[in-house]
Amino acid sequence: MRTKRLRMVMSAMLVGALAAGCSGGGQEETPQETGPVELTFWTWAPNMDKIAAVWNAAHPDIKVTVSKQAGGDEAAAKFLTAAKAGNAPDLVQAEYQMLPSFVAAEAVADIKGEVAGVRDQFSDGIWNLVTLGTDGVYGLPQDSGPMMFYYRTDLFTKYGIAVPKTWDEYAAAARTVHAKDKTVYLGGFSSKDPGWFAGLSQQAGAKWWSITGEAWKVGINDDATKKVADFWGGLAKDGVVDTQAPWTPEWNAALNGGKIMSWASAVWAPGVLSSNAPDGKGKWAIAPLPQWSAGENYSGFWGGSSIAIAEGSKHKKAAAQFASWLNTDAKALDLLIKEAAIYPAAKSGQNLMTTAPEYFANQADFWQQATNIAGTARGFTFGPNVNVAYSAYKDAFDKALQNKSSFTDALGAMHDATVADMKKSGSPLASL
Amino acid sequence: MTTPTRGARADRAGATPYLYLAPAVVLFTLFIAAPIGYTAYLSLRRVQFSGLGLGKKSRTEIFVGLDNYRTAVADGEFWAGWLRVLGYAGLVLALMLGLALVFALLLDSARVRLARFSRIAIFLPYAVPGVVATLLWGFLYLPSLSPIHATLRTFGFENVDLLSPSTVMFSMVNVAIWGGTGFNMLVLYTQLRAIPRDYYEAARIDGAGELAIALRVKVPILAPALVLTTVFSIIATIQVFTEPMTLRPISNAVSSTWSPLMKVYRDAFVTGDLYSAAATSLVIAAISVVPSLLFMRLVRRQAFGEER
Amino acid sequence: MTTKGVRRPLGLAPTAVLLLGALYCLLPVCWVLAASTKTRGELFTTNAFAPGTGLFSNIADLSAYRDGIFWQWMANTALYAGVGALLSTAVSVLAGYALAKFRFFGRNMIFNVLIGGILVPAVVLAVPQYLLLAKAGLANTYWAVLLPSILHPYSIYLARIYASAAIPDALLEAGRIDGAGEHRLLRVVAVPLMLPGMVTIFLFQFVAIWNNFLLPFIMLADDERFPLTVGLYTLLATGANQPALYNLVITGALLSIIPLIALFLTMQRYWRTDLSGGSVKS
Repeated sequence: MRTKRLRMVMSAMLVGALAAGCSGGGQEETPQETGPVELTFWTWAPNMDKIAAVWNAAHPDIKVTVSKQAGGDEAAAKFLTAAKAGNAPDLVQAEYQMLPSFVAAEAVADIKGEVAGVRDQFSDGIWNLVTLGTDGVYGLPQDSGPMMFYYRTDLFTKYGIAVPKTWDEYAAAARTVHAKDKTVYLGGFSSKDPGWFAGLSQQAGAKWWSITGEAWKVGINDDATKKVADFWGGLAKDGVVDTQAPWTPEWNAALNGGKIMSWASAVWAPGVLSSNAPDGKGKWAIAPLPQWSAGENYSGFWGGSSIAIAEGSKHKKAAAQFASWLNTDAKALDLLIKEAAIYPAAKSGQNLMTTAPEYFANQADFWQQATNIAGTARGFTFGPNVNVAYSAYKDAFDKALQNKSSFTDALGAMHDATVADMKKSGSPLASL
Repeated sequence: MTTPTRGARADRAGATPYLYLAPAVVLFTLFIAAPIGYTAYLSLRRVQFSGLGLGKKSRTEIFVGLDNYRTAVADGEFWAGWLRVLGYAGLVLALMLGLALVFALLLDSARVRLARFSRIAIFLPYAVPGVVATLLWGFLYLPSLSPIHATLRTFGFENVDLLSPSTVMFSMVNVAIWGGTGFNMLVLYTQLRAIPRDYYEAARIDGAGELAIALRVKVPILAPALVLTTVFSIIATIQVFTEPMTLRPISNAVSSTWSPLMKVYRDAFVTGDLYSAAATSLVIAAISVVPSLLFMRLVRRQAFGEER
Repeated sequence: MTTKGVRRPLGLAPTAVLLLGALYCLLPVCWVLAASTKTRGELFTTNAFAPGTGLFSNIADLSAYRDGIFWQWMANTALYAGVGALLSTAVSVLAGYALAKFRFFGRNMIFNVLIGGILVPAVVLAVPQYLLLAKAGLANTYWAVLLPSILHPYSIYLARIYASAAIPDALLEAGRIDGAGEHRLLRVVAVPLMLPGMVTIFLFQFVAIWNNFLLPFIMLADDERFPLTVGLYTLLATGANQPALYNLVITGALLSIIPLIALFLTMQRYWRTDLSGGSVKS
């Protein structure tokens, strides 16, 4: 009977294929002597495929295939799951704060030996983000996000306020502006951007994680961070800063319509502003972030990512070669700036930034200013469970905004959730 | 109803039914049973770091017994999530099925115009993926560009926040109703169309109006279908996940553990704790078994009562 | 349109209620339609239902994005949904027919267990499914999305109902007395009678796979294999420092539901679903 046989064969094939796969374990790849090395690369940076094409044209022996991924929280989980299953790509874009969890999961490789030659291309602060303060090197820095103060020059004139030099001046200006027009805010507090809050805390001198001997020290509710939380908590309680969720169409409209006059953001903001607030073109300018005490000059980092190489990669050396090229070669850096619209982490790349972004055509020395500010940015070591801390940040500060409750308590909740998670996984914790 | 003489076929059937069921059973084993088994395995384990957790081999997976379950059940947020979901499910069920019933009855009534257009229009949201649906409602919930807010303003409601703690639940319910009414309407409508028209003639001759026929004749006929749509909807609403997940970025009122399933998602996809996620999901499954056992009984009585 | 029965005045109220419902369901769709005509700037600055000027530039941008990968996603989605729904229908109909028309040991248990599958949400299954398929070397292949989509408890449930309602036992008995084998009966009697129901199952499963997100998101690494939902998500979640490509996402979302709407309009008579087997009784 034809149907019967067909059906039997089909189900047999299905079962066979799956069973064979189940018992077979991981796919064994014998190093191929002939043909180019094939590398896969997960990234969410725009146009990375075009940059890889330039590399591929010049390096017929190492072929890089870009697979564009979604960014965000899930990107890290997807990579970790793939690594757990032995399916990780050779190269992966990793936000700095995610790198420690990748290292902890043994998902990315120590490439110290392969990239020693490019060490001096990066500043110490940036390099520390890929060594995690250890002897290893777990990735190459790609872009960084030194924070600066973006403001609407025309509206600052209109409301008669000066660019705030200190956070006290910022607070006063916020009250002034909101008193003059209830629909307008000087700036906003975001409960959706833990990276933003981390950057502002870095500026204040916070150290959320540090290593003492063989133990972690968690300092999320240290004095510096408390100061930052209290500051924004006060402004939010009085309703003089915007507390809506950013990155929404509503927020875009507010930014575009001049209802939000300034934004403590990072060097990558021009891309966001030009696409989300097109009407503000030529009206925005940058300045250093307000300082905690007059005379100081610090900034922090918001965002930025590195290129890491998977522990499971069969071609770590070739991958490291590509990663080094991508993040230090003059031509590649130029492409990163022009095609991927990023602010390169390499020192030489920063020098390539000469013409101000079109959106900031009125500020000819935009990059000069940005580079000066970038030099003042200080970071901190990220711990192995930043994702837990960040997730707790969103929940705790969402709640604080809703209930108009204390930001200090929210910070405490974030701290406790982070410590509890580390305790659970048995990480040694230094007494606080 | 049953005719015992047919019993003989049981022996004659031989291997045939098993053969026909084989693909489904094999797929079930591979893609549902095996993953559940794996989940159960993971739920008994967790990661243990030694040292800073950064060096080689500093991470081991250990057996922890029921620890993950204890943590899952002891988490107040988890039960608060269930409470929220119960409230949400109650609203969705009442409104969505109520609307579906009304629409189905109206479509079936003899004197409605543009019935085909309305039927297709109401069913249309079914084609829109949940993520897109929530995204587009999200746009409509945000005040500055939304026609909803423009309408509210013309009626004198200024500054209504559809994403605040007190309203966000209704905003989610609305998305669910929008997406789900059409499907349920279709189920009920299909059932109504299957009833021979002359069935109502007697009632009509007795002088019953359309409304009376709908209430006294049609609704009782629909009862089994209504019960089934209700049970299917209960199971779907318990699993609510997409709506709160997609509204979360635009609202300060949706926590990462708003619904029990969101907690599973957070643990598995954000904080990377597969082990807790596994335990929590098995607890959720255990709780969902209650409505489903009920469902099994109903299914057998309502749908297959006449089968031999 | 039904024109049966005697119309009485005041009969407009039902029509009005239905139209109100239709309006409620259509308005957001109209919003997508309007929004897809807007440029990125217009999207956040103009009235929600005012048409913009950017429809063609949006479609062009979307088509140009990564050398037209959007259309690759569309083709992938059609493949996943088409092949997946076809296989799913076949598996469901076989199972449903067996459950409805045979008495055998374990029938109720097998049915209960299979249907129990709807109790397990996709979120719970996704990661273990991925880890198991990865072990089989099938992660990041078309199979990784297709295979788990085939089993659909709800379709088996529907198939059982259709089979029990559409296939008279007498017909099967007669065939058996004539000496026809079971597989021949399936082919000659059961399948033709169940055909309308099969189309319905196919359609529902097609929509379900077309709109599936989590499974392909976790299974696929290579964006050349993404379906539309996952592809559009990469445009939305562009990473921390890049603006979301809202105008492309919205245009893409619109284009992605057009094939489904076409299916609604062309296959109208199959969009019916009978949960409790009342249909073919008359």
